[in-house]
Amino acid sequence: MPIEITGGMLLQGVVSGLLAGGLYAMVALGMALIFGVMRVINVAHGTLLMLGAYATYWLFALYGMNPFLSLLISFPLLFVVGVILQRLFVYRVVDAPELSSLLLTFWISIFIANMAMVAWTADYRSVEFLTGSFLLGPIALSKPRLISFCFALGITYLAFLFLNKSKTGKAIRATSQHRELAQVCGINVRRIDLITFGLAAGLAGTGGSLVSVMFSVFPEMGQIYVFKSFLVIVLGGAGNYPGAFFGGLILGLVEGLASLYLSAQLSEVIAYILLVLILLVRPTGLLRGRS
Amino acid sequence: MKGSSKAKENLGWVFLLGLGLGLLIWDSAAAQAPIKVGASISVTGTYAKLGGYTRDGYLMCAKEINDKGGLLGRKLEFVIYDDRSETTTAIKLYEKLITEDKVELVMGPYSSPITNAASTVSEKYKKIMVASLAATTSIWERGFKYLFMTISPAEVYMEGLVELAAERGLKTIAVINEDTLFSKAAASGTIDLAKKKAMKVVMHDAYPKGTTDFSGLLIRMKALNPDVIVAGSYFDDAVATTRQMKELDVNPKMFGVTVGGDVPDFGKQLGKTAEYVYGSTQWSDDVKYPGAREFTENYKKMFNREFSYHAPAAYGACQVFAEAIRRAKSLDSDKIREQLLKLKITTAFGDYQVDERGFQTAHKMVLLQWQEGKRVTVWPASLAEAKPLYPTPPWSQRK
Amino acid sequence: MKGLIGAVVLLILAALGLMPFFVTNYIVSFAIQIFMWIALAGSWNLISGFTGYVSFGHVAFFGTGAYTAAILISKAGWHWFPASLTGSVTAAALALIIGYPCLRLKGPYFAIAMLGLNEVVRALVSYFETFTGGGNGISLPPIASIQPVYYAMGGVALAVVLFTYLIITSRFGLRLLSIREDELAAEAMGVNTARLKLYAFLLSATFPGIVGGFFAWYSSHIEPIGTFPLLTTITMIIMCLFGGKGTVLGPVLGATLLSIFQEMVWARFLFIHQAIFGALIVAVVLLMPRGILGVLQQRYRLPRTI
Repeated sequence: MPIEITGGMLLQGVVSGLLAGGLYAMVALGMALIFGVMRVINVAHGTLLMLGAYATYWLFALYGMNPFLSLLISFPLLFVVGVILQRLFVYRVVDAPELSSLLLTFWISIFIANMAMVAWTADYRSVEFLTGSFLLGPIALSKPRLISFCFALGITYLAFLFLNKSKTGKAIRATSQHRELAQVCGINVRRIDLITFGLAAGLAGTGGSLVSVMFSVFPEMGQIYVFKSFLVIVLGGAGNYPGAFFGGLILGLVEGLASLYLSAQLSEVIAYILLVLILLVRPTGLLRGRS
Repeated sequence: MKGSSKAKENLGWVFLLGLGLGLLIWDSAAAQAPIKVGASISVTGTYAKLGGYTRDGYLMCAKEINDKGGLLGRKLEFVIYDDRSETTTAIKLYEKLITEDKVELVMGPYSSPITNAASTVSEKYKKIMVASLAATTSIWERGFKYLFMTISPAEVYMEGLVELAAERGLKTIAVINEDTLFSKAAASGTIDLAKKKAMKVVMHDAYPKGTTDFSGLLIRMKALNPDVIVAGSYFDDAVATTRQMKELDVNPKMFGVTVGGDVPDFGKQLGKTAEYVYGSTQWSDDVKYPGAREFTENYKKMFNREFSYHAPAAYGACQVFAEAIRRAKSLDSDKIREQLLKLKITTAFGDYQVDERGFQTAHKMVLLQWQEGKRVTVWPASLAEAKPLYPTPPWSQRK
Repeated sequence: MKGLIGAVVLLILAALGLMPFFVTNYIVSFAIQIFMWIALAGSWNLISGFTGYVSFGHVAFFGTGAYTAAILISKAGWHWFPASLTGSVTAAALALIIGYPCLRLKGPYFAIAMLGLNEVVRALVSYFETFTGGGNGISLPPIASIQPVYYAMGGVALAVVLFTYLIITSRFGLRLLSIREDELAAEAMGVNTARLKLYAFLLSATFPGIVGGFFAWYSSHIEPIGTFPLLTTITMIIMCLFGGKGTVLGPVLGATLLSIFQEMVWARFLFIHQAIFGALIVAVVLLMPRGILGVLQQRYRLPRTI
């Protein structure tokens, strides 16, 4: 039903969208890393996010732990899970044709989601920790979204510091730029693969923990984030990690505006059309990327 | 020799007696073969919570009937599969139940969309389906002969809320709904009721099943500032919408949800945020139907938890079906159909009577409100435990 | 040798043709399923097996065909057969619109774009309610007998196999294979890769469109979530890979074997079925990426064109 959109509503839509976008950015960064370093499309990224969300939920429900504090647990936990998955399964499809990595990660995602379903049932859970909002004039800044956004921002910043300043981080970037040359330079790419997957899983899990504060937790919750992460990578450019950050914000913004002006159902379609257009015009991504 | 022929005669009697006894035992053993009743229920997936209560209702009904000697002298045995809240799976499962497992009777799944699809299978094989948890009118407008409705239709779910709103002179209403069969019917029914009370519908929008982010819809609603907001929802979207209303500071004077508001977990998950929300239900535990109190006690004993109306609905539907079978004295679909069409009965779930389409005409809805962490019946007046807490105070004034 | 093979093939076809008169409804419906999967796996083979472009959203064409047929049947009163054939037209149109821009993308990006396509078509179908009934789906009158569907599906499956055979023994097929092996070199040799890829893509979309139409008629009810599931795409991919992609009989073999497997296991062990199926995926991907026929072709030097 078309109604007039006032400035206040627009601003609200923009703010809500950006807050969501920060989260997308953090989660997509993980997927971008995996794709950049290993040329693997990780369809299981959503389930890693889901595991982080459940970790936070159980810590909250059983021990009353502050969900934001639980990030200190869900990050290392998912890091380990990521390393294990890489060591057992993913290493076999590194640099392989995309079909293999798609199928394998798809299987991993189904397997983990099924185990979650059996272990925790399909019941929707929620972490009722923070509700309500800060009211700034006409704008309601949802408390959970705002704080999650701040954490997402902070963690992403730390991730970038790691990638840019630390020796391992630089090795990761080198490997993603040119795997063979990196090996020639003496970088142990197998080890880098392990660390990268672990880091990406950790980012996804942290994303899940933050999501659990805002939305419901259930076994299939991660699926939409996979698609969104794809969009972000395309928007930002594969291998362009700062690009992934801005890509996330852009996606959040587009979604927020689309669901405000059009129907909620069309926001996905809009995002996809955007994806296809960008892929056509700049196959390496909207911002600087590499093919 | 007289002696030996007598012995032979005796032997003959013993033999005949033995044969007769053997046949008797054989006959009753064969008659003991249980009546298999097939159903697919959403044990996993988005309808899992409510599907679980449905299954409980069926199992309780079977247990009661079996404890009292069974149906037509045979025990009832439910064969239940998980349709994962998916219609295509349900279709496959009902085909399997009827053609492979060879069940003699079928009962309905949970939810209108799934019943809509599954009933095409039961109708194809001319098996009666008592649709215990389907409330959408259009399902009964397809001219099916073997489909029967036991709960009130979707269109009247929010009748109580609209009446209460009109009594208090409220003028504007906004409606959102999940884009599926039941929710759409509930939304349009609510809109019709509202228009009859001269209320203005300022917004009506649908969201895809599985939506978790309602901010776009809520931002628009906030700008319109309606007196009443109705969400045609199931459980998870009801929870998410309520929570996000608080986050975006949307303050209607009355807010009701069609499904989900009556589920105990709604209050558990939302805590104080659930206060003042109106939920609609087909049954509440203070209704005065025969056997209602016993049902509540037996349920707590058997499953040790709270429940929502879906359990007694499934239970009641099964009871209605059983009664019709008893009166028809057979498992033949056409005979049972005859009985179901004329049957007028009140079970623990409420009144039952259908029109020639199999559409329910007698059962009544109940409106409840969350007050101090409890579900309280507030409408109709004849069943109300308390007055509705009106108006819903704005979030900023609540603690 | 060729005569013998031809005779065997004819015998099999004759047996399949007469089968519905001698077996139960259950087996006929099972056969319909197998035919459907043969057609789907074979269609995927046409684009991904031959050119190497991974279509990860192929079920979108299936769904498009299903909805087209359902709308024509329910709203315009068409007979189900022409309605389904029209489904192939809309599916091909979709393939044209999407394929033209997206086939320019490199491997992983094409896969991502196709994955997104599926979601988007589903969202669009839900949105345009007046045509598609939105979330309610479309209900069709229950069918009286499944035998016509059996022959129809069987016909499409046969058509797919024939087309694959024709392609693989033609120059068109050779050119497609060259795209798979090394697209740059193929272009350098003068192969018009853009056009050929598009043809293959269009072809690979028409058959799922028809099959989708038959499926809608057979199920009497379709709705968005059940008609566009990712799992269907994955299943057809696995069936094709398992049998051997890029071969003619590979998809047939894969579809038949896996369907039988699914039926036997799904019926008895619902949960384990998923686990076993998953293990199968892993096995195929890691250990047998060439599929059964692929391995046999190598070991026993079987012809490329089986």
